[in-house]
Amino acid sequence: MSVDRRAVLAGGAVALVVPVTMVANGSLQALSGTTGGSAAAPAPAATALGAYLRIDSLNNVTLLIGPTEMGQGIMTGLGQLVAEELMLNWSQVKVEHAGPSASPPNPFANPLFGLQLTGGSTSMRGWYLPLRQAAATAREMLLAAARQLAPGKTWALAAGGKVTDGTTTYAFSQLVETATLMTPPAKVALATTRNAIGQRLPRTDIPAKVDGSAVFGIDVQVPGMVYAAVVHCPTLGGTVASMPASASGAQALVNLGNGVAVVAGDTWTAMRIAESLGSKIKWTLPADTASRDSVHIRAKGLELVGSTNAVPHIYETTGGLDPAVAIANAPTRLDATYELPYLAHACMEVLNCTASVSATSAEIWAPTQGQALNVFTIAGITGLAPRAITVHTTYLGGGLGRKFDQDFVAEAVKIAKAVGKPVKLTWSRKQDFQNDMYRPCAAIRVQAGIDANKTLTAMLYRNVSPSINIQRNSKPGNNPEDTGAVAGALDLPYAIPNRRIEFVPNPADIPLGYWRSVGESYNTFAVESAMDELALAAGQDPMAWRKALLAADPRSLGVLNAVDTLSGWSKSAAPAGSARGLAFLKGFGSYIALVAQISLSGGKIKVGKMFCAIDCGVAVNPDQIEAQIQGGIAHGLAATLWGQVTFAAGVPSVSNFNNYRVLKLNDMPTVSVSIVPSSEAPGGVGETGVPCVAPAVANAYAKLTGQRVRTLPFYPGATMGGL
Amino acid sequence: MAQTLKLNVNGANRTVTVSSSDMPLLWVLRDLLGLTGTKYGCGIEVCGACTVLIDGQREHSCVFDVTSAVGKKIVTVEGLAADADGRKAQAAWIANQVPQCGYCQPGMLMVTVGAMKAGHHGGEIASEVEHICVCGTYQRIKQAIQSL
Repeated sequence: MSVDRRAVLAGGAVALVVPVTMVANGSLQALSGTTGGSAAAPAPAATALGAYLRIDSLNNVTLLIGPTEMGQGIMTGLGQLVAEELMLNWSQVKVEHAGPSASPPNPFANPLFGLQLTGGSTSMRGWYLPLRQAAATAREMLLAAARQLAPGKTWALAAGGKVTDGTTTYAFSQLVETATLMTPPAKVALATTRNAIGQRLPRTDIPAKVDGSAVFGIDVQVPGMVYAAVVHCPTLGGTVASMPASASGAQALVNLGNGVAVVAGDTWTAMRIAESLGSKIKWTLPADTASRDSVHIRAKGLELVGSTNAVPHIYETTGGLDPAVAIANAPTRLDATYELPYLAHACMEVLNCTASVSATSAEIWAPTQGQALNVFTIAGITGLAPRAITVHTTYLGGGLGRKFDQDFVAEAVKIAKAVGKPVKLTWSRKQDFQNDMYRPCAAIRVQAGIDANKTLTAMLYRNVSPSINIQRNSKPGNNPEDTGAVAGALDLPYAIPNRRIEFVPNPADIPLGYWRSVGESYNTFAVESAMDELALAAGQDPMAWRKALLAADPRSLGVLNAVDTLSGWSKSAAPAGSARGLAFLKGFGSYIALVAQISLSGGKIKVGKMFCAIDCGVAVNPDQIEAQIQGGIAHGLAATLWGQVTFAAGVPSVSNFNNYRVLKLNDMPTVSVSIVPSSEAPGGVGETGVPCVAPAVANAYAKLTGQRVRTLPFYPGATMGGL
Repeated sequence: MAQTLKLNVNGANRTVTVSSSDMPLLWVLRDLLGLTGTKYGCGIEVCGACTVLIDGQREHSCVFDVTSAVGKKIVTVEGLAADADGRKAQAAWIANQVPQCGYCQPGMLMVTVGAMKAGHHGGEIASEVEHICVCGTYQRIKQAIQSL
């Protein structure tokens, strides 16, 4: 998570910034918000040992986590940490979503930034040490309990959740009541074994995801609930001028300001009425449509990218020479502008939220990445104190950054408040596509100079894009920065002596959001395309060129060497009719290098193989790291080839998967992953696989065809095909 | 027009009252019968998340009128464990650690089991999986299908 994004979050929710609590305290206070995909069978009696662990009469250990499971495998990864410290058999480990706690401090807030939010590939990074310390503390308290029950003996942990002195053995379940009374030690030693950490353990959530029992937000059922759908103004920024008071078959219509909710006895009836209601609602359209028109926004971006009048935010200045001067004096120069479009999230699970609101309390069940913000949203609408608000986190049918936002939660709470019953709001797919918080478009100009010795001496980088942070947080007296807009271009590990990294905001009124890999999703395309163009301009092999520029950075060099070996780059040419392209990223606390091997099929790109090397520090679960890389590549590849949303005077061009192409099985390349062994602190994985895809493919395409593509996607609009 | 119908779902006879006879089976399963394993994804037969078996045939329940399902055997993901092919597919999905978010996987499993029941194998089944998985679990889906 970038510094900047963290600042946004903290700025919006100062009261929830708390120090991380990791002492075991025996309290049940943190358990109220748990939910998840567990079956309806009554749970065996359990005792909490601290905020994070619960030990039941069958000697199962349940870990309660703050991060949201949205497919990245965080339940499993965090479960492995606890299994290691407590020497648990994997079958004993259960993991559930938890929090926020009813009163501060919230022990489920990510220790990196003090809020319960999931994003920026920060969950393992934030929890790796704190959770191990919490589990190790629990271990010491269980040992202390054994000493209290049978003094004078030497007790040690045994595999399977037990404590033994060699003759007598206690299960944790026999000790936990006593353990809650023990004083937590001030310092604990962490396990040095590697029985769980680093192992390819199976995911805890998969059995429920193959038998239909996993509860996603859209699956929540609450006694007495009604169903709602919504129709928003078809033009972004429009509001309800007038609406019918009722509709046949609907229990209620609720004015949401920018849309109307329909409440009915089932989802389909609500959606059907909502769709037919559109023509009966009078909308007030926004006066400014140019700021919601992508042709206009793109033209403005291209103007600003070359304008000497624009006032850039300068986020990095390195070296003693003005890069503009160094470049002007260089015998070999690059001046290239790269363009990327707005993108939709297109989570498989549409936005939805179930809410129940009374005069004294409010409760939601939601597929949410932003529990801390949910509390503020609900408090703002209901006037209730945070302690009267309960957030239940369900499984997410994909999050991708979209379910961090609050719009769908706010709507459900407003509807529930209006009708006085629990309500489940489900957006139709069309509403989901047309009311997204879109990935910003960008125009990025890279200028660079190579001297007579083939040395890259200077880079001048200018990103022109609408800013997420400025859009969300600008107000009189507050002019926020957005270093996240140049994430992926800042602090490049390449040896480029003189550089300046600029950001020029291109303000527009298309709603923006965090899209898997955020700033890197566009800046890495520009940086790594430019690195390839520079290598070719210098007459160098792109792999050798990068290795030379990263020679002083062992971890960067490590992934390049690994991907070189894995792909056979330096060993042999690509098969006839195909070509390889390379890209590299240091980001999210990790290092990644990617080789795309592509050919043409019917004149269009076919990506046959992808070779990836990653150094993400300690690899807690190599199987899940591979899964995330495979998935990140699929996500990045769809965006590279087809992903684009345009806006005509505020009306989005996409409405469903029949006009927004995503990857299908036949499009999926074979992905090979090499995980570079490391004992460094864990880095991020969930987003790391995405950014290198576009430049690796574009670099391969240039090699294959001699044609440099600097504008994404490769196949926009009518050329997309394959729907 | 409200109508009361008898359905056979996963081997059990169920009676439902629908608000309209053209209500798609998907929403009858989810909202009226509480069988939420079958998922809404697109509503227009593109993503495949809503796939169920009706008399052994793969159908998109998002556009399948509930009245057309009367008198037929409906199988959803919740019914796979009672079927030998279903159990085999579920075991392959677990062995290959296929799901990430898991939302599309009921549909993936249903289309696979439907293809198995049609006597198809390996690459033949894979070529029939035109469903969408935004997590990109395709490589493992292919491996799982190949292992059947």
